[in-house]
Amino acid sequence: MSWIKRRWTAAEADRWTKEDYITFVISPLVYVLLMVGTALSLLLRWYGFLLLGVGLALMLFMLWVIDPKLKAISEDYETKQKHYLEDLEKIARWEK
Amino acid sequence: MVHFAFLDWFWVIAFIILMTVCGILFYKLGKRSMSDFFLAGRGLPWWLPATSVYATHTATDTPIWVSGVVYQYGLRGLWYTFFSAWCAISAFASTRIFRRSLAYTQAEWQTLRFSGLGAELLRGWIAGWQVFMNMFVLGWVGMAMGKLCNYLFGWPQWVALVLFSAICAVYVLAAGYWGVVMSDFQQGVIAFLVIVIVSFWGISVAGGPQGIVSKLGEMGQSWRLNPFAFSGLTGGDFPLVWFLTMLVIAVIGGFGMGTAIDWYPEAQRIQSAKTVRDASYSIWSGTALIVIRNSIWAVAILGFFVLYPDIQETAKYEMAWYRIGFEYLPVGMVGLFFAAIVAIHLSTISAHLNLGASYATRDLYHHYLKPKATERELVWAGRISTLILLIGSFIYGSMMKEITQWLIFALWIMAAGIWLPSILQVVWWRFNSWGYLSSWIANLGLSWLVVWILPEFRLMPDLPDYLQFWIMMVLGALIYLPITFLTKPEDMDRLVKYYVMSRPLGWWKPVRLEAERRGLVAVEAGATKGGS
Repeated sequence: MSWIKRRWTAAEADRWTKEDYITFVISPLVYVLLMVGTALSLLLRWYGFLLLGVGLALMLFMLWVIDPKLKAISEDYETKQKHYLEDLEKIARWEK
Repeated sequence: MVHFAFLDWFWVIAFIILMTVCGILFYKLGKRSMSDFFLAGRGLPWWLPATSVYATHTATDTPIWVSGVVYQYGLRGLWYTFFSAWCAISAFASTRIFRRSLAYTQAEWQTLRFSGLGAELLRGWIAGWQVFMNMFVLGWVGMAMGKLCNYLFGWPQWVALVLFSAICAVYVLAAGYWGVVMSDFQQGVIAFLVIVIVSFWGISVAGGPQGIVSKLGEMGQSWRLNPFAFSGLTGGDFPLVWFLTMLVIAVIGGFGMGTAIDWYPEAQRIQSAKTVRDASYSIWSGTALIVIRNSIWAVAILGFFVLYPDIQETAKYEMAWYRIGFEYLPVGMVGLFFAAIVAIHLSTISAHLNLGASYATRDLYHHYLKPKATERELVWAGRISTLILLIGSFIYGSMMKEITQWLIFALWIMAAGIWLPSILQVVWWRFNSWGYLSSWIANLGLSWLVVWILPEFRLMPDLPDYLQFWIMMVLGALIYLPITFLTKPEDMDRLVKYYVMSRPLGWWKPVRLEAERRGLVAVEAGATKGGS
């Protein structure tokens, strides 16, 4: 699916793109399907299993869409945060 | 009254020791700094805050609340619990924006988003309100435990309220958020397993899935199996407009910060996660577990309905899930069940003790009283705040009587007037601190007026809660929108700084163009044509 971007630079990932909007639509739908699907599956309704299955499949699809982007944002951000945490660690050690 | 054998007490005491020791073990990490005491050093992998989200929102009052709505409405009642679905969008929108700041709390974030006196007033207001709100939550959760122990052992309600909160305070005082999150992991696992065991037991006692379905059919109650059995467009006990209102509030609310009261504990878990990705997954998966848990409960409560279909008193059918466990589990298992209840209780109490203390310490003590306090002083301020919250919760707990009524008011009505402003502050650059502050003040007055005072004096009819929500949203907008436009926009320097740090979504075009002009962000291809 070439219309879903899977390789991101940090700068590209900072922007809100169609991958985010797809996730915004799918994510609440997954919650609905998991909730209704679980209840009806426990009551052994066939459509409960179907809804639960669709919910799980959509969840995997959502992660496939959004995960590369979140990774790109996080890697860049983690580097910046690391310096802050190192400074904090120095202060804490100094005060011991 | 329930009889406990030796094995039952063994489970309870062993679990309490295990949970308390597990928390205290992290004493050394918790005392290192304020960041450790309140955010576990911002270094947690996603699954730890996720179990904390799940454990915190599985409290002693939760099965009471779920039992109440499912017994009354059948599987439709699940939608009353669906408010937690704000995390569906929040996990990938407002969570991402919030985690990119290094704010400790939502109150602190206000001073990153807004500037000047308005921002300071907002920070003070939200911090004070959160200290109060956490005492309030601790009180009502503690009261639920008091009610349960009164049913089980005949103890006066204050005994359980004081006893279990005090046990919990031991590890929260010692290790702060490290103690909270590590105990939450253990408590979350125990609670989930026991919820599954007890619920499946209840389903089995009621005749199994097929038995429940066929008995409901024989009773002419098959509609209880349909989560979408609406009573009409606007009339009846489950109208379509209520459902649509709930969906809008729950789902669209995820674009904002503070659209649900659960945002505040979640905000702490978001900031404790190692990265933006960890924060997103922790919020999303913790809530997914909550949604699944509610469904497991719901089916067990349908089983309870089949066994006891004629209970009229709310206070009695609210105890449905607890009655399944205490009346049907064998000796020995009852103690395990109660130990799990203690686990879910302690996880909620610990989370709110630490959360309330974080606002008192970071936003009130550190920001206003002693900005140059050392890390050691701040950790101690955190401990003293924890103690004050604990004592305050005893006072609030003794004042509350009806759980469901308070929960509906707190989850739904109290958030109505600030729901839209809490989204606007995230997605619209022109929305300023005065607009947001005025929405809070207006909401406080309007919620009491519309829900309690005007109907009491017969100046307004008793409206359904979904109508109250929309009325308060419109009335609030009539106050905060003019105030926003009559006051100046936020300082552009502050907005640009915030934009570069958080990269918000929505209507930020003037700020983005300014940030691009200053060379702080890359120019977007074709950006000048875009609306954001």
